[in-house]
Amino acid sequence: MKWRRRVAVIGTGQTEHTRKRDDVSQQELVREAARRALADAEMTPGDIDAVVLANMELFEGRALPELWCAEGAAGAGKPVLKIATGGTSGTSGAIAGALQVASGMFDTVLVVGFEKQSEGQTAAGMALTDPMWDRHVASAAIGNFALSISQYMAERGVTQEQAAKVAVKARRNAARNPYAHLQQPGLTVEQVLASSVLAWPIHMLEMCPTSDGACALVYAAEEVARRRCPRPAWVRAAATRHDHPYIGDLDRRLVTMRTLRDAAREAYAQAGVTEPLEQFDVAEIYEPVSYAELAWYEALGFCKEGEAGRLIEDGVTAMDGQLPVNPSGGVLSTNPIGASGVIRTAEAALQLHGKGGQRQVPGARLALVTGYGVYAWSDVLILSSDPG
Amino acid sequence: MPQPLLRVRASLDLTWHYAAGSHFTRFFEALRDDGLILALRCPACRRVYLPPRPVCGNCFRRMEEWVPVGPQGTLRAFTVVHFPFLDPTTGQPRPVPFGMGLIQLDGADTTLNHYLDETDLGRLELGLRVEAVLREPRQGDMGDIRLFRVLRP
Repeated sequence: MKWRRRVAVIGTGQTEHTRKRDDVSQQELVREAARRALADAEMTPGDIDAVVLANMELFEGRALPELWCAEGAAGAGKPVLKIATGGTSGTSGAIAGALQVASGMFDTVLVVGFEKQSEGQTAAGMALTDPMWDRHVASAAIGNFALSISQYMAERGVTQEQAAKVAVKARRNAARNPYAHLQQPGLTVEQVLASSVLAWPIHMLEMCPTSDGACALVYAAEEVARRRCPRPAWVRAAATRHDHPYIGDLDRRLVTMRTLRDAAREAYAQAGVTEPLEQFDVAEIYEPVSYAELAWYEALGFCKEGEAGRLIEDGVTAMDGQLPVNPSGGVLSTNPIGASGVIRTAEAALQLHGKGGQRQVPGARLALVTGYGVYAWSDVLILSSDPG
Repeated sequence: MPQPLLRVRASLDLTWHYAAGSHFTRFFEALRDDGLILALRCPACRRVYLPPRPVCGNCFRRMEEWVPVGPQGTLRAFTVVHFPFLDPTTGQPRPVPFGMGLIQLDGADTTLNHYLDETDLGRLELGLRVEAVLREPRQGDMGDIRLFRVLRP
């Protein structure tokens, strides 16, 4: 992919994420995040050229959520585009917004993602897949993941204790993020492994929660970004991969994870990344379950195959490690689905803006973002303090 | 203390009708009438796809060579589910626990996610041989494969 012009994230905003936000409607939730992102970018609604919305409307059972963008996200009288690709909705929305600016189509784009899982039937939405086949053998995201994990554990020798350490790291990080849903700084490996089994080997405390929340970010073309933002977070790479339509089509999904490997390879080539563990200062990756984070370490080239367990054991990806992964607490701590990928991107930008507060990685200049959804769809973005 | 805000309840009871397409029509008819599980083979890469679909996603070639697969196969992945998921065919939570597997039917290159008759983790392992158990009488949909029985030597 050729980037025609530079684009940067110049503002971010998100709601406090929690189990149930019945103090606000969906539209008010969208507005809360959009207003904060505009304030952060020191912009007014009139400064925005176009809007991208990420949301899985089937989960709320309320069609056409892009209607919320008019009053909620400065969208009235402007182009509004909706992205709905399951877990990748947010990162795909973030990529779509970046490309709209990079293409020259717009100078400023507001991307907002939201989900109010408390109002919806996410399980029913997940179950409404292919009526000929999948509906008869549905076990939702947890069951499908659990199947793939049995293969991953067998081939890579990853242990339940190593996976539990991922959850412990996530919740410890989340406790330093005032917006995160689950904040459990004292969580232990023993507690994770003693929590109820949802689908073997996945325990309750190592699965993502169901959250209400919204997140927004503002993109600007180079000229606008340099004028308005002291430390723009330049988008240096974006790549997406989808795959075949049935879960059984994917050969040893978590082991091979070809979509993430391929998207990462393409993104690394765009941004000139050859040694990801050394070059990235921070990563915000989409880990819906503890084991996924370990599989992503391998697919993203942080380590050789079979060494992901060692990475978490050695603290390489902890806040004080070589490459802090998910200072925000990740999807394991906060999962308003349509917002989750926008959160990953916004949190990465926040680090480059130097506005991470207690979760700031000192001096972060190069950040990796990933999204994951459906049957192994993958997104990768790379943000940098260096415009390139 | 602010007054609690309203929540509005909404429910739906609707029915949809989906066209199965020629490939699923043939698949379900063979399953119902002959108890056969049919897959499609790509003329270019020779990959055998289950469920059948009209085109190979790797080669973009139309597939017309039907091949029976199974009814036995090999367990390539498994889990035991304890969380009561919504069963889309009934609208009710599915009784737990239940076993699930990815099964590679003999002759197929893809795997099939389906239910197992085993919920004891200690008796499940990768590579086990399994066999499809069909519903009687069969009705011509995916429910005609009830589950997979673990074959013990």
